[in-house]
Amino acid sequence: MMRVQIGKVVVWSGLLSLVLLLATCGGRSGAPGLAGLRGQLPDEARGWRAAGGVELYDQESIFSYIDGHAEVYLAYGMTGCLARRYNGPPGEADLALDVFEMGSPADAYGVFTYDRDGERVEIGRDGLYRYGWLSFWKGSFFVSVTAESESAAAREAVLELGRSVAALITVAGAPPALVGELPPDGLDANSVRFLHSQQILDTHLWLGEGAVLGLAPDTPAALAHYLRDGWSAHLLLVDYPDEGRAERAAAAIAGRLLAGPPGGGPALGQEGRWHGVQQRGARLVVVIGAANEELAAALLSETGAPKGGG
Amino acid sequence: MFRRSTVITRRDFVRVGGGLAAVGLLGAGRRDAEGQEPPARSRVVLIRRQDALGEDGSPDGRVLHEMLNEAVAALLEIAEPAAAWKRLIRPGDVVGIKSNVWRNLATPPALEEAIRVEVVAAGVAPGDVAVDDRGVLENPVFKRATAFINVRPMRTHHWSGLGTCLKNMIMFVPRPADYHGDACASLGAIWKLPELAGKVRLNILVMLTPQFHGVGPHSFSPAFVWPYKGLIVGIDPVAVDATGARIIEAKRREHFGEERPISPPPHHIQIADTRYGLGVSDPQRIDLVRLGWMENALI
Repeated sequence: MMRVQIGKVVVWSGLLSLVLLLATCGGRSGAPGLAGLRGQLPDEARGWRAAGGVELYDQESIFSYIDGHAEVYLAYGMTGCLARRYNGPPGEADLALDVFEMGSPADAYGVFTYDRDGERVEIGRDGLYRYGWLSFWKGSFFVSVTAESESAAAREAVLELGRSVAALITVAGAPPALVGELPPDGLDANSVRFLHSQQILDTHLWLGEGAVLGLAPDTPAALAHYLRDGWSAHLLLVDYPDEGRAERAAAAIAGRLLAGPPGGGPALGQEGRWHGVQQRGARLVVVIGAANEELAAALLSETGAPKGGG
Repeated sequence: MFRRSTVITRRDFVRVGGGLAAVGLLGAGRRDAEGQEPPARSRVVLIRRQDALGEDGSPDGRVLHEMLNEAVAALLEIAEPAAAWKRLIRPGDVVGIKSNVWRNLATPPALEEAIRVEVVAAGVAPGDVAVDDRGVLENPVFKRATAFINVRPMRTHHWSGLGTCLKNMIMFVPRPADYHGDACASLGAIWKLPELAGKVRLNILVMLTPQFHGVGPHSFSPAFVWPYKGLIVGIDPVAVDATGARIIEAKRREHFGEERPISPPPHHIQIADTRYGLGVSDPQRIDLVRLGWMENALI
């Protein structure tokens, strides 16, 4: 730590750095982090007024706040969470605002895709509203506003609060590149999930017991549902850091789905659905439960290797 | 479209939920070395009363107590509830009442109290009965318990699909997250721990306002609970949970107007049967006794 003297004032540059870190607290590209947002959160929205201060939770204390489900956020690299309650007018329930800072914009997108039900609203990125709950992602943040009981007035307050918070986040962020490599034909955009954890995958697509895919923070995965001419299928892409890991995962999942080695064409499962497993460099491509062989083969063939050679 | 499957037919291969599938396949049907043969059949009581909840939606303690006693008597096929309780609990027992304090949907204190009253009436010293959830590993009564009564509300759950009686015992391990893998497939192993094995005398799945879907970080919305006004009571936790799961699945079909399987699949119920031998998950082998109000029972 370097000590700098300015006149009679001694400033520890390390301390200065710490102050700056707190000011941005994980902020990227000059965007404010949680600490920066903390002092800017709205005090009021459509008659709902902030109750008390803003609570800040870290990777440990989040368990006391999100009872039983904190692991979902930790699985996406959550670094912190701001929480604030808003008391409603007489006869209206409270609102809960939660602002999660994730490990990256990709993870903010990923945790957003954990639950994609809802109607689209133009708030943040990909804003969704359902049953009194607004969710969106922007930059490295995932934002949730929940009305504890829904009403027309509460809905408007939820949306206004969401708009206000979205405006405080100045960096938009980009979805993970892997999501953009899902074949577009027949893709159900609302079914796309981004993840890198077996537990998260299990909640969307259960492939049997055990972590055969070797999912980890360094293995981004995209999962999606397809519908072509009335025929459905699911496609899972996983990018591994090296071809060896992709090869092992391909062999393991092929043994489960195909009862044989990966790399060939689709195989018909006992339940009458078609599955396929192929390796493209460091990428694993898995088609699950296709309604017919042609669809399974098409999805396998339309997915390439990772860009950059992989 | 995919064919319909239910929670207790995990051998069906493909399940679809929310536009995505869960593929249920290997392992569920096997019985490993630690397994034991489950009972051939199990008896479960579903009791409902229209007056179980007051006008404000809060449980009526007196009605709950009556429902509990009626269910226990019917379960054991004994006319007098007091005699039925004495069949379950002996005067020398030390009893832990395993509750659930999840803030959005906790075990009603009135039900905890009704159980405590009956346990004491069965001859247990008041100092030998305790109610706890998060503190069971440190609770002095729980640490010397000879019997447990397991009582919790039914709800959907991020990791296990459903928060069940089987799931409720996860607080008996120091690191619950260790059991979250494979949608909590190995929850049954907890019931084999020496401090629990053979000691759970009664399981009560609270279906007063069950939660059939979860949204948001706090996994709760009043939009996804409904006044079912019931209790499911049994000695076999697997049969109790399998029965509750059928009701939740039926409610999801009714509410969403389409097949919306619970996600992740709550296969810990069937695995508790097939791998751990803790009870019966097959509805064909569950003798369901229905008591009280049965309108829209969904089962």
